[in-house]
Amino acid sequence: MGDNGNILAQLSNALSATVEAVSRSIVRVEARRRGHASGIAWSKEGLVVTAHHAVQRDHDLRIGLPEGGTVEAELVGRDPTTDVAVLRARGATLHPPTWAEADSLHVGHLVLSVGRHDTHAQASLGIVAKKDGAWRTPTGGHVDAFLQTDILVYPGFSGSALVDAEGRAGGMNTSWFLRRSSLTLPAATLRRVVGVLLEHGRVRRGLLGVGAHPAQLPGSVRQDLEQHAGLLVVSVEDESPAEAAGVLVGDLIVGLDGEPVQHLESLLFLLTEERIGKAVPLRVVRGGRLETLTVTVGERR
Amino acid sequence: MASLLKQLNGELAAVAARARRSVVQVHSARYGAGTGVVVQAAGLIVTNAHVVKKRYPRVTLADGRTLRAQVLGYDADEDLAALSVEADGLEALALADSRSARPGDLVQALGHPWGVVGAATAGVVVALEAGWLEPPLRGRDWIVADLHLWPGNSGGPLLDAAGRVLGLNTMLIGTGLGVAVPAHRVGAFLGRVAPSRRGAASGYVL
Repeated sequence: MGDNGNILAQLSNALSATVEAVSRSIVRVEARRRGHASGIAWSKEGLVVTAHHAVQRDHDLRIGLPEGGTVEAELVGRDPTTDVAVLRARGATLHPPTWAEADSLHVGHLVLSVGRHDTHAQASLGIVAKKDGAWRTPTGGHVDAFLQTDILVYPGFSGSALVDAEGRAGGMNTSWFLRRSSLTLPAATLRRVVGVLLEHGRVRRGLLGVGAHPAQLPGSVRQDLEQHAGLLVVSVEDESPAEAAGVLVGDLIVGLDGEPVQHLESLLFLLTEERIGKAVPLRVVRGGRLETLTVTVGERR
Repeated sequence: MASLLKQLNGELAAVAARARRSVVQVHSARYGAGTGVVVQAAGLIVTNAHVVKKRYPRVTLADGRTLRAQVLGYDADEDLAALSVEADGLEALALADSRSARPGDLVQALGHPWGVVGAATAGVVVALEAGWLEPPLRGRDWIVADLHLWPGNSGGPLLDAAGRVLGLNTMLIGTGLGVAVPAHRVGAFLGRVAPSRRGAASGYVL
């Protein structure tokens, strides 16, 4: 298109200018043995948000700055359930991006992923492939919107920013949940998780104190409950909430706080921060009969 | 909006159509073909060294002619080879100023993946370094782009938005990243191996 190339050249320049502008908010996270990851400046005072799975150690962390140079960093906290970690870069002034909320992103929108696992920033281009409402990660993390792009995620891109056409950060990309394809944690989720991590250093998770294994329900209860499986209690920890509630080895847990429990994931989903310290009904099948116990959910430490 | 996309598509297709006239197949092994780019009308072609396995590879031009080529220069370390064919008035592609490339720049690659002649794929410049490569490849200038390339793309042009050669597609990382030798390294190589031909016909920009 050479001479008559107009839109293509304009688009190309707009994309690289967008990358350049937002890259001052993108840092390098040196926190694992092989290959660095990316991170997004969260506050001027040095907070950085990155992917939990890319922070493989708690000490000896460093942040590579957009203007060059590397500073030491400390771990503020991490939430494996949403794959978010927060670091604080020492003695660095950062430039947080402008954030865009998930409702401004639509399927088909052009988006960039901007990371920095090397000295300079890297970018790749794609479109928003799928968008849906709030969801729970397999380990029980709450994510405010399901955002998937067709951007390829390769080592070092976790912790990169999803950047919209206006140069705003729409979230943090991670390969943790979908492996080969990019999933984006929206800005609202980052705000919430960072808030909790700053306050508590971790996202609090509930605890019952049982070892359990998924098992089929006896036919009679299966019909009453309209569910096929429950969790067979194989151990009860001493002085645990489950022990206090009278849970016995051999009980089949089928529900917690009015919600069905069919497998380990569904129990994890339910052991949220909000339920810690609360007395909630725990439904079990004992000796072929349904019983309801009351358990005060503890906190996992 | 729809007309904007239509124009964009038209321009992408025009870049590919123009470049396809300067892209050749390099036959040097029993099976498959690599890609090469005509950089001078008088029959100067550049490709990857790893595509050239014979002293006289055969080259199929865009017009369908298959000619015997002579290897003018070969640098395994740079993974570049210069070929010359007895032809004139070929359409050559100009080299771009690859030092001014930036992450996010739109690019297209042309080549013959799976034997599909003149196939195009598009993406953006991801990075101008490839920290993942092992030494001695690490630390050199590269152009990494998010392109779906296959072995038949080797030696083919990475084109910028103006249809100039930004680099020569050389390596793959996984299935979604291409690594290209940037045009300034290609230009320096051509300056070394074909100095007398420099500036002849539609030359390249060094």
